Amino acid sequence: MIRIEILYSETANLYGDNFGIDYLKQSLDEVEIIRTGLTETPRFVNESVDLVYMGPMPESSQELVIDALRPHMEALRRRIDEGKVFLMTGNAFEVFGAYIENEDGTRIPGLELFGGYAKRRMMDRFNGMFLGSLDDADGKELKILGFKSQFTHFYGDTGVNYAFKRLRGKGLNPDAEGEGVRIKNFIGTYLIGPLLVVNPLFTVYILKLCGIKDPHPAFEEAAMDAYNVRVKEFEDPTKSY
Amino acid sequence: MLKFILALCAGKCISAAIHILGPILHKNGTHLPGNIALKIDPLFLKHIGRPKTIVAVTGTNGKTTTNNLIIDALEKNGYKVLSNRYGSNVNSGIATALLQGVNLFNRTKYQLGVLEVDERSSLRVYKYVHPDYVVVTNLMRDSLMRNAHPQYIFDIIEQSLPDDCTMILNADDLLSNRLKPDNARVYYGVGQQPGDSATARNLINDVQICPRCHSKLQYHVLRYNSIGRAVCPHCGLTSPEADVCTMDIDYENRLLTMKVGNAPVEFPMISDSTFNIYNETAAVAVLDQLGLSHDKIAQAFSTMKVVRSRYREDKVRGIRILSTMTKGWIAPACSAVFDYVSKLPGEKELILYLEDPTDPIFYSELLAYTYETDFEFLNKDNIQRIIVIGKRARDFYLRMLLAGIPKERLAWTETIEGLKRYLKPKYGVDIHILYDLHQAIHYDQIFTNVKEAIEEAKL
Repeated sequence: MIRIEILYSETANLYGDNFGIDYLKQSLDEVEIIRTGLTETPRFVNESVDLVYMGPMPESSQELVIDALRPHMEALRRRIDEGKVFLMTGNAFEVFGAYIENEDGTRIPGLELFGGYAKRRMMDRFNGMFLGSLDDADGKELKILGFKSQFTHFYGDTGVNYAFKRLRGKGLNPDAEGEGVRIKNFIGTYLIGPLLVVNPLFTVYILKLCGIKDPHPAFEEAAMDAYNVRVKEFEDPTKSY
Repeated sequence: MLKFILALCAGKCISAAIHILGPILHKNGTHLPGNIALKIDPLFLKHIGRPKTIVAVTGTNGKTTTNNLIIDALEKNGYKVLSNRYGSNVNSGIATALLQGVNLFNRTKYQLGVLEVDERSSLRVYKYVHPDYVVVTNLMRDSLMRNAHPQYIFDIIEQSLPDDCTMILNADDLLSNRLKPDNARVYYGVGQQPGDSATARNLINDVQICPRCHSKLQYHVLRYNSIGRAVCPHCGLTSPEADVCTMDIDYENRLLTMKVGNAPVEFPMISDSTFNIYNETAAVAVLDQLGLSHDKIAQAFSTMKVVRSRYREDKVRGIRILSTMTKGWIAPACSAVFDYVSKLPGEKELILYLEDPTDPIFYSELLAYTYETDFEFLNKDNIQRIIVIGKRARDFYLRMLLAGIPKERLAWTETIEGLKRYLKPKYGVDIHILYDLHQAIHYDQIFTNVKEAIEEAKL
């Protein structure tokens, strides 16, 4: 059985992306889902959790999440070093950067797991598609597709690897070579979709990272069928990004 | 000022042209005069003459219904009301309405204006058009690519509204009812009803944490999404008491008993859906503020009904075809339609065509909203089959599998013509067509295929 902890789903629950965890649940025979609230101590701090997930949230909630996680950063770093899997989608990963910059130049100090900063432009929503890739444990290239719908881009030197190589669309910022951040098995990305549902191969990849042998995503045939059509569309040069 | 005079004249000329040519071209062009006027004079909304009293109606869901109830009640009582009810609710639509409400000397012909205002347009409208009363029906998830999330829309409305307008707010929506906390305010709501539950039925609720201390809220009534009554166990914040409150709902006699001030008053029930009971209560709260007597409101309501403009019912060879326009991209709106249809008695087949028609041409549509929409409501034994149409049919099919709907009940086809392969018309089984607003252009084609399938079936 694997244990999945969803952080702060009472507010980090935008754009349907948390359904990705339902997708994992339906893909597994035995799974324990733990929902940790803003006023609770995350379970990964004192217990073994296989996957920690946090989804997109309103901008005002990012400060609440930073305050909630700050006392547990040492434990979080330790779990990353141990190789535990963390997946942060949408703007959730921004809280782990150096800071978030508001339009008026004021800064919200981040958790400094990595460098760089998010810059908000609240009257300029960015919507776009993204096609990228990731090498799995066997060195095989997985195509990753996803969508972006956000008020921010992420700038500066993160000091860590990108999560995905960029093939089409915009990465962490319009000039970036890649998308997201990666520290061991900590993966943070702006991509939504829900990310796991629209990428069944990435779902398999995540489940393997969690130690599941020969995982199969729920409704594999239907999911792969939808994914293959999407990949063709995302590769189609006539589609606007 | 020269720019304004030019804008006014140009807008008037275009309005006149549309008035003549519109019926021939089948276009109402409600954006165009305002759009041109705003292009000539960006401050057009500041300069244009306007009624003495303005009511703005905004919110994610129910604003059109509420707006129309208010206008109809006023007009039935002899008021001449300036409105944008047949037009657009963004700044250009409002400019068009105001333009049509003045003469060539920029003098308004109206004492009272009731304007539906798109939430996202707040910044461009309220800066110049000062509302005296603002009704906010609710704030919920809308198109995520445009409106992001309800808190974002809250912030836009909050910074746009003046400090001296009277807010008419839904006591049962802990997000929208916190707008403009220092303004004069009237709350409306629906009191405790038999069958109310505290259990969440929807996938999404945007008000799960206390807006004051951020602790988890406890709902003692949760009607849909975030609409209900809550208390914060940590700081004690509670949903405000409603000044205008629907206390009793008599479905049999179609009557609503409302507390307005301190007195109970009976009003005819215009629609029996929970959403529309909220809308009617909001309309009463506004009309009461405008000074219309309760008797006059009740009398006006007695001849009114919520026009299901997005609904039609047909019969082909004894089989009922029920068509409902559904707002794709907006999860609460889709969930409400799914909930309604799933609760209708009798056996049924469903046809879903919800994707954006421009999707296959320009991009690959983001369907994240379908994972906020309660497709789970469609997992009912009396829904014999669900057929989904479109380029994105595979994605909808997967979504419905994940909602637990048995594979045997599902089918998908990329083309409308493909429908006939899967539709199995039977006597006693209604056919429901749920189609997106943007698919209205394809509705006739869907209907024709359904009709042909019925005619070809050996019944």
